Amino acid sequence: MTHPDKEDNQIPSGRSLQGIGVSPGIVAATVVVLKRQTLRTGWYHLPADHIEKEVDRFAGAIKAAGDELLHLREKLADDLADALSIIDSHLLMLKDRMMVERTMALIRHNNVNAEWALTQALSEIKERFDRIDDPYIRERFADIKHVADRVFDLLSGREHGPLSGEDQPVILVANDFSPEDTLRMQASSVHGFLTEKGGITSHTAIVARSLGLPAVVGIEHATSLLTTGDLIILDGGSGRITLHPEPEELQRVQEGNRQDRLLAEELEQYIHLVSETVDGFTVRLSANIETLGELPAVLRFGSEGIGLFRSEFDYFNGRRPPSEEQLLSTYQQLLATMAPYPVTVRTLDVGGDKFLNRFPGNKAWLDRERNPALGLRSIRFSLYERDLFRSQLRALLRASVHGRLRILLPLISAPVELRQVKAIVAEVLAELAGEGLPVAEDVEIGMMVEVPSAVVMADVFAAEVDFFAIGTNDLIQYSLAIDRGNQYVAHLYEPFHPAVLRMIQQTVEAGHARNIPVSLCGEMAGDPLCAPVLMGMGLDELSMRPAVVPRIKRLLRHCRSEELRRIAQQALQCGDSDQVRDLLARQLPHLYPREFYQG
Amino acid sequence: MRAEQVVVIGNERGIHGRVATRLAGMAASHGVHLFLRHGEETVECSSILDVLALALARGTAVGLVAEGAQAESALAAAIEIINAQDDSDHDPPG
Repeated sequence: MTHPDKEDNQIPSGRSLQGIGVSPGIVAATVVVLKRQTLRTGWYHLPADHIEKEVDRFAGAIKAAGDELLHLREKLADDLADALSIIDSHLLMLKDRMMVERTMALIRHNNVNAEWALTQALSEIKERFDRIDDPYIRERFADIKHVADRVFDLLSGREHGPLSGEDQPVILVANDFSPEDTLRMQASSVHGFLTEKGGITSHTAIVARSLGLPAVVGIEHATSLLTTGDLIILDGGSGRITLHPEPEELQRVQEGNRQDRLLAEELEQYIHLVSETVDGFTVRLSANIETLGELPAVLRFGSEGIGLFRSEFDYFNGRRPPSEEQLLSTYQQLLATMAPYPVTVRTLDVGGDKFLNRFPGNKAWLDRERNPALGLRSIRFSLYERDLFRSQLRALLRASVHGRLRILLPLISAPVELRQVKAIVAEVLAELAGEGLPVAEDVEIGMMVEVPSAVVMADVFAAEVDFFAIGTNDLIQYSLAIDRGNQYVAHLYEPFHPAVLRMIQQTVEAGHARNIPVSLCGEMAGDPLCAPVLMGMGLDELSMRPAVVPRIKRLLRHCRSEELRRIAQQALQCGDSDQVRDLLARQLPHLYPREFYQG
Repeated sequence: MRAEQVVVIGNERGIHGRVATRLAGMAASHGVHLFLRHGEETVECSSILDVLALALARGTAVGLVAEGAQAESALAAAIEIINAQDDSDHDPPG
């Protein structure tokens, strides 16, 4: 991390700062640095006849803070459930005896001003929270502090900062923002924010993500390093801040944003249309997600289901693996929200070493794997840690009555794995029946095709599963023997490698020969250059980031199926990836000028 | 009326912010006083900070005491909340 002297205001052009990206999106704008005055804890002694007035003044600030929260709560859209719940907990904190009664008692007992008494009450609360071992609960002190800070502001007559007062787009910089500050940035000139404090699981980060407001946290000394008026580019995905960007870079971001806005407006009309070609050939366009928080976006952008729910989040979100009940709750909501559309849940797809390191105490010998990509991961790990796997299967099957469930098994490389999984599923089903717990009859079980052996054996596997989902990211890595993260070989990672295209085609044919649907969920699915080829190969479903769906749908709706098939066939006959790219560069802009007019 | 029961916390993350928020809301809507008893300490659920400060982890046994006209139904709702899961956006009725 760059860390210049605090006095250094002449930060050179293009210099960057690295923080934690907590809410994706790239924006360029001038910053407004909000510095909180720290003089609020001044102490003064009150004459006896002023004490009740001071208590009233404090009560007035508490009431005003509560009214603000209620007002904010009323304006919130229903789909911001996380934000609503956070505001409710802040409302309770504002009424809490440890905060309110204690402060009033301190005012009366010590004849001191409200600010001082509240500071004392707060430090007592902090002392209690500091003793808590559980980091998740201890972290809630940040919320208490946000709530108290607003009361301090109201006591000193301070209004909200320029959260919405500016006309020009701005990026706000502060030590920290409360979740409510973040909500107030919605529909204002605030295009993003960055803070010194915070982490990816803070309530502020959660709210920023649900609003789609780009945000970076954890940049130490940001309020000293940046000055109001500084122009920056903020990348809420990578966490990178570029100070005083070069004109070309700035223009690129601004032009990109302008195009995005124009495109977004134009794409709006496609959201509720069916995803089919001009001649009525349909391809299901579904979404890849990993948390329930993304569901509003899935619905908003018109996905027709979840093509890939990465189930790892629940497993990395606590100090212990999740309970069956916790998983059940996640899956129930997922299925119920998406019904009647299908939801494909991929079972735990992690490397064993990474996973077990988080929950220490056993299996220490697993700590280092020489070849993690070829090691105990994904389905192999689930078959190794069977109790964990059974618990996930139980939760999935129990949730199945709430919608349309498809269970997706990752990294299947041999038929024996599939047989083992099926035996476990049968046992779990018998168990659930014995306990009188209902399971839907139409649950489908499918497998990821992402290992070359699965492609070669696709005809055999097709007889054993209800669907195939091709995972191109891993398939490319495993078939081309390329680690994308390795800078020396990353250039060889090539989706248009004819071997990759042929493997996709082979998988589709094997699936269709057995009448099972074949989907594809990798970055290729959402790439306008790749998608036409994939559609032409006959894939039944493409699963991608929710926000990309309208764009791919527009493309599809301007296509004719025979054109797509012809392009796919030509691509399959190419001898190398450059030929594929040339072919597409020649044909696609000609056929679909709307999509490719930018070149 | 008074109803009480000892329950073992089933929620994966124990009684955290969202659960504490719901307990307080439910107690208010039922018009009852709801208390959590753990070891020597008894706290009223109307104070979210008191409840959080107990740092009740999963597997902990706590006494739940509801006092008021609707004590029985409040107690049942409280148990449901305590055992419901983190990310549920659906509050139990009441």
